[in-house]
Amino acid sequence: MNRSSWWIGGVLVLALGLSVAVGPVMAADEFKIGVITSLSGDLATGGNVTKRGYDLWAKAVNAQGGIEIKGKKYPVRLIYGDDQSQPAQAASAAERLAAQEKVDCILGPYASGTTIAAAPVLEKYKIPMITGSAESPLIWKQKFRYTFGTIPPVNFTGSAAIKVLAALPQGPKTAVIYGTNDTFSKATAEAFQSTAEQVGIKVLRFNILPPKQDMTPLMSAAKVLNPDLIAFGGHDEELINLVKVLTQINFTPKALIMHYGVTEPAFAQALGKNAEQVLGASVWTSSIQTKGAIGWPTSKAYADAAVAEYPKDPADYTQAASSAAGLVFQAALSQLAVAPPLDEAARTKLVEILEKIDLQTFYGRVKFATEGDYYHSNAGLTPLMVQIAGGKEVVVAPAESAQAKLVYPLTPWDKR
Amino acid sequence: MLALLPQAIVDGILLGGIYLTVAMGFSLAFGVLHVIDFAVGEWIMLGAFAGLGFTKWFHLDPLLSLPVIFAVFATVGWMLQPLLQRVLSGSRGRPVLMGLVFTFGLALAFRGSALTVFGIFTHSLDTVLSQGSLHFSRGSFFLTIPFIRLAGLVYALAVIVALNYLLKKTDFGLAIRAVAQNKEAAGLMGVDIKRTSGAVYGIYVGISAMTGVFIGAIVSLNAGMGPDLALFAFFVVVLAGMGYLSGVPWAAFLLGLIQSFFLIYFNPSYVLLALFTILYAVLLISPTGMFRKGV
Repeated sequence: MNRSSWWIGGVLVLALGLSVAVGPVMAADEFKIGVITSLSGDLATGGNVTKRGYDLWAKAVNAQGGIEIKGKKYPVRLIYGDDQSQPAQAASAAERLAAQEKVDCILGPYASGTTIAAAPVLEKYKIPMITGSAESPLIWKQKFRYTFGTIPPVNFTGSAAIKVLAALPQGPKTAVIYGTNDTFSKATAEAFQSTAEQVGIKVLRFNILPPKQDMTPLMSAAKVLNPDLIAFGGHDEELINLVKVLTQINFTPKALIMHYGVTEPAFAQALGKNAEQVLGASVWTSSIQTKGAIGWPTSKAYADAAVAEYPKDPADYTQAASSAAGLVFQAALSQLAVAPPLDEAARTKLVEILEKIDLQTFYGRVKFATEGDYYHSNAGLTPLMVQIAGGKEVVVAPAESAQAKLVYPLTPWDKR
Repeated sequence: MLALLPQAIVDGILLGGIYLTVAMGFSLAFGVLHVIDFAVGEWIMLGAFAGLGFTKWFHLDPLLSLPVIFAVFATVGWMLQPLLQRVLSGSRGRPVLMGLVFTFGLALAFRGSALTVFGIFTHSLDTVLSQGSLHFSRGSFFLTIPFIRLAGLVYALAVIVALNYLLKKTDFGLAIRAVAQNKEAAGLMGVDIKRTSGAVYGIYVGISAMTGVFIGAIVSLNAGMGPDLALFAFFVVVLAGMGYLSGVPWAAFLLGLIQSFFLIYFNPSYVLLALFTILYAVLLISPTGMFRKGV
């Protein structure tokens, strides 16, 4: 080949590349929905729980042919971006999904720290995101216009649980409170602390620890203080380690409350009899009475569908909230009635629809707050207090949803 | 809080015992093979899952699985070592860096496979020693020593005694030390370098896997537990002096004691800051470790 034909070839290739890059936007025959969550790294457990929730929704909606827009059904396609449990990776996953994949909307991360990192990127690209998991109040205080969440913030759910304990006749008078140093866990611990002080429980010690820190020395110190209540904000692995430390040094407080993670089936499986009577906060269990206007009709129908798909692990509230996040998009997209791909104007319109949406789902009511500290988080739910009984989470408060009476105080570890 | 002093010391030593077992094999492998094995955490993780599998299949206490796990993993390590040797002694440039990349790759492959095969959840190994503790008290002083942590410390010390005997009192140990000092010269003296290196890597992998069973019983196990352990192993070994085996116990106990005192008497938020400040200071003053005997 001579030199001029190289030139011609080169120009042709370049032209082809350009035409692909700047070519007209073709009408898509599906909704491209990005998912940013932790599929690897420290928080892979929770990240995969959200993935199950999102996948379950996508499968259900595609089984009906997709979302109907002006008489035509468009299936949804989930495009995953692994944030590796790192905020920086969450931001770059958001960038990739927005700029390269050109997704229509996004289902958000498992963790709060990664959500806060991804949200500004999506503000820039004007892509709506609903997270089915993140619970830190810090997310909502920043008032991101394009970010929504189906789980109320932890200071709302966690404080309800402390209030229930304080109202008991022989309720706790003293507490030690610890949290792991990540966005969610710290917020949980702070919510426990401020509520405890509010309701007159004396906080003897409050500490934030590095993730996965061995807690034996700390619990030895707690044993000397002999608090009625130990409250801890952390994730699954840390909670399991904490209970093991307490059994090893044989210190049983009157109550042990740990918010999220207790509701994960792995908690009871790993700890067996020592998981019993541990308390947690939640917003959904398969036992609560709900009526879904879209998707699964009841809590139980969802729980059954989830077990059929993932037989080993029953659904917890994070998985349910993740599926509900999908349902909210489904309802909002039908209402928007614009065929994919959505342009910027359509996506902005979608945000306006989300702000007005008031949806009854199997997970409960979804109604996003539009002002105040809880801006764009779900204000439609009642917090539940759960306790492990017979290896399962059982609702013990509030009274209208309770399946069993709260067991208090804890049975000592060595008498189990 | 003075009443907590004995407890702080004991907790520190028990915690040090855990780091000791993690770092011991790691230091041995570095001393002899001159490879920093970043897959150490993954060997521990795989050992822990092997312990879990053993308990589930045979319904026996996981601690009974230790000899089996050692044998199985030592064989795996022994069989894998020639591969590592090939990377380290290849004709390509910078074999040390290639070795690092190889162990990183190994770690990633193990972690990813474990995530796929064993799933995402955290598990716990339940042994007869899991619950309960020795308890002493006199006046306002008191002391609690959990059985399982004590067993972990005993295991760590037993490994040290066994390794010490092997290295100092046997012909095979002499061969290992010769290879560590000067590979070429040892070869010329008739030491089978391939066989010796394979055995060392096997012993290291076997010890790490057994350590996994203890860590699974003392704390918990999941597919992603490796990197943190590798970090602490690296910390201990650097503090002790790279390749200086006798320094490892002191470095491990120091690491445990710093954590324990910080958690009890100071602000626990800064425990990692304290650890790494100390490591930095030690390396600044004495780059070859606390005892100035590393490489």
